[in-house]
Amino acid sequence: MADRTWWKSVHPALPEIAEKLRREEIDRRDFLRTASLLGMSAGAAYALAGELTGEGLIKPAAAQQEETPVMGGTLRVGMRVQEMKDPAVFDWTEKSNQARQILEYLVMTDENNVTHPYLLESWQPSEDLKTWQLNLRRGVKWNNGDDFIAEDVAHNFRRWIDPATGSSNASLFSSLPESGIEIVNDHTVVLHLNEPDLSVPENLYNYPAAIVHRRFDEMGGDFEANPIGTGPYQLAEFSVAGVCRLTKRPPEEYWGDEVYLDEIAYIDFGEGTGPTVQALLAGEVDTVYEIGIEEIEIIEENPNLEVLQAITAQTAVARMRVTEEPFTDRRVRQAVVACMDHVRLLEIGYRGRGAPAENHHVCPIHPEYFPLPRLRQDYDLARELLAEAGYADGLNLTIDVRNAPSWEVNTMQAFKEMLEPAGINLSLNVMPDSQFWEIWDKTPFGFTAWTHRPLGVQVMNLAYRSGGAWNESAYSNPEFDAALDVANGLVDPAERSRQMEKVEKILQDDAVIAQPLWRAVFTAANRRVANITCHPTFYHQFNRVWLRSA
Amino acid sequence: MIALIVRRTGLTLLTMLVVSVLLFLIFETRIDSIALSVLGPYTTVEQREIWLEANGYYDPLWQRYLRWLGNALTGDFGTSVQFKRPVNEVLWPRLGNTALLGAVAMAVIIPLSLLLGVLAGMREGSVRDRAISFVSILTTSVPEFASAMFLIGIFAVALDNLLPGTTNVADGISLRELILPAAVLVLYDFGYVARMTRASMAEVMGTQYIRTAILKGLPYRRVILRHALRNALIPPFTVIMLQFNWLLSGVIVVEVAFAYKGFGYLLLEAASNDDIYVIQACTMVAVLVAVATQTISDIGYGFLNPRIRFGR
Repeated sequence: MADRTWWKSVHPALPEIAEKLRREEIDRRDFLRTASLLGMSAGAAYALAGELTGEGLIKPAAAQQEETPVMGGTLRVGMRVQEMKDPAVFDWTEKSNQARQILEYLVMTDENNVTHPYLLESWQPSEDLKTWQLNLRRGVKWNNGDDFIAEDVAHNFRRWIDPATGSSNASLFSSLPESGIEIVNDHTVVLHLNEPDLSVPENLYNYPAAIVHRRFDEMGGDFEANPIGTGPYQLAEFSVAGVCRLTKRPPEEYWGDEVYLDEIAYIDFGEGTGPTVQALLAGEVDTVYEIGIEEIEIIEENPNLEVLQAITAQTAVARMRVTEEPFTDRRVRQAVVACMDHVRLLEIGYRGRGAPAENHHVCPIHPEYFPLPRLRQDYDLARELLAEAGYADGLNLTIDVRNAPSWEVNTMQAFKEMLEPAGINLSLNVMPDSQFWEIWDKTPFGFTAWTHRPLGVQVMNLAYRSGGAWNESAYSNPEFDAALDVANGLVDPAERSRQMEKVEKILQDDAVIAQPLWRAVFTAANRRVANITCHPTFYHQFNRVWLRSA
Repeated sequence: MIALIVRRTGLTLLTMLVVSVLLFLIFETRIDSIALSVLGPYTTVEQREIWLEANGYYDPLWQRYLRWLGNALTGDFGTSVQFKRPVNEVLWPRLGNTALLGAVAMAVIIPLSLLLGVLAGMREGSVRDRAISFVSILTTSVPEFASAMFLIGIFAVALDNLLPGTTNVADGISLRELILPAAVLVLYDFGYVARMTRASMAEVMGTQYIRTAILKGLPYRRVILRHALRNALIPPFTVIMLQFNWLLSGVIVVEVAFAYKGFGYLLLEAASNDDIYVIQACTMVAVLVAVATQTISDIGYGFLNPRIRFGR
């Protein structure tokens, strides 16, 4: 820390944020993620935070590690084994976990929701957040011997935004035209966006954003046939619905620290968590992809196993399509949400594991979260609003709900009972998952699951902005859009949080969604597995995992 | 006999043709959902349309059907949208696994249920008959999903993994892993076949020629083995052939409960993912098995019962 001004060249906002941390206006976590966002390396950011707060250098996770890691062994993971021909069109996280051990991402979001450079050394946004310079890590080699260069990165961006690829990344980079991908030299790529975008780094860790080789398409566009990657493992055996076996690449070829595990084997036990948990209990696997909340008890009873938990921004929202009767009337929507007791639903639906939500889809773990006054169940208000809207004699509604996971049905069943005193008769239309995803963005009233995203504005842009790619409620409010635009341009989380007050309030008042809860997610592992964590989005980061009895 | 086989073959082909046309028509209304299940829910409509176009889904229905039919006749059932590989590559290993499970189950069901059925039917109303009937009805009335959970609870959980409750595909299917799924099938099915055998046996035992044989002083053993059994086993034979049919659909529950990667599981996965070509191929296999077992049963009938002769 001899030169205290070195970091000021990274981004103009950084000194200001550092100052705020010193004055304790923002917390350490916010500082870390914003500093990382602005292109500061994680090590430097953690060091600086320690210096500013006087807490000294605390390394995350590694600080708790006392044992000496052991090399070797096979980590057996119970998870569905699915096809993985094209990483850009992955539609299941499981697929990305198989590929994640072979392929790598430009950035990495850790289990604390902080994003770090990964295949990048750093990134540098312009002040208007429209130009992003990506500085590639040097010395990275593909497992076919080629060097990792800017053309690799540019090729991936091109195929993501090409509609013919069919990648869901296209929506994340909709402001990036093909001409906006500029290769400056072998180690620098610059993105020229049409609109400011705060979340470029986070988007680069979206699970279909694994970086494939520049000749991926020339080689037939089939990752199973040509599993070329930069990661520490290579594909040894693969059968869909069977086994995906990955073996360690010679460590001298890999750019990062040597990984501990010799082998990772994904073993398929079919759909649903039941048989997979059986295998975990029987010691046939060391960890699993996910366990359901109802399985926590049986795992905790077993002395060989431990439950791993992550707080997430995963949720489900009872969203009302504002273009369909009777939800065109704001009073009807307000009456529906007024009947919701969020804390109670968290208890009933999710055994209290998580946090109550506030009908605005910004989670307390998001850096820009602004706490609005707590919502209260208000039947008088609900009845009054219904009477005004012309439903004094009651209202019949039907909501589409998926049949699994069970908490979704249970929560809506409880909500149905909460609606009754106000004279709203809710019927549940329970349907299979695949059927639900055909109508999720069309039905008048549906209970839609939303996955975790690192930033609050990301969901706002996708789901509630006028014409947003996944705007399932058809919500359109110029005032909201304008407020959101301002928030999108604010790098500083404290400043953005102040702006989010407005965004959250508009969405909450317009009563587009009745959102019961934020849920924690769980997985479990055998105690012989060391250093394993549950990632909020179940991404498997096994580079530092080792086995106590390999 | 030959005429029968020819006729049956023709009928089989016709049934398969009709079924395949019907399935195609049903899925015609669900074209969008195919793109959805391939590209995932988070893609735009435009992306899905490009995919459908590129994969020939916008060609007229008859064109697509004929293309499928032509390929199917040469043994190519198309490509699974869910697995993104040829249906043949997925279907046959799965069918092999189910055949293995079915064979193990049948190897227990047939001798067990025939023995118990004959023992029960020999003396209708006896304590032995009552006891066997009671057990048969009890096990048959417990649904497969319940007995599967029950057995897992006992053998995998309570007895600390004495027998595995799941099938680990990492190193092939071992006999230990077959025991519980086969046991569920046996529990569910043996009682039914035993009851059918019992009814048939009891009926034969009541006929005049048996009474005559006993009255003329033949040893009881000889009466049963030489006179009663052959006649009593004709109806159970048909019932047993029908069980092969039942196995193809009946295994779904068992295979899902034990994560056993067989035909039933494949059919379920295909159905929940609108994997039309896999469903088509599975259905063709099911029709084939149904008609084939029926034909075998008819032919076998002729051998067992000389009174039955097939017309031309």
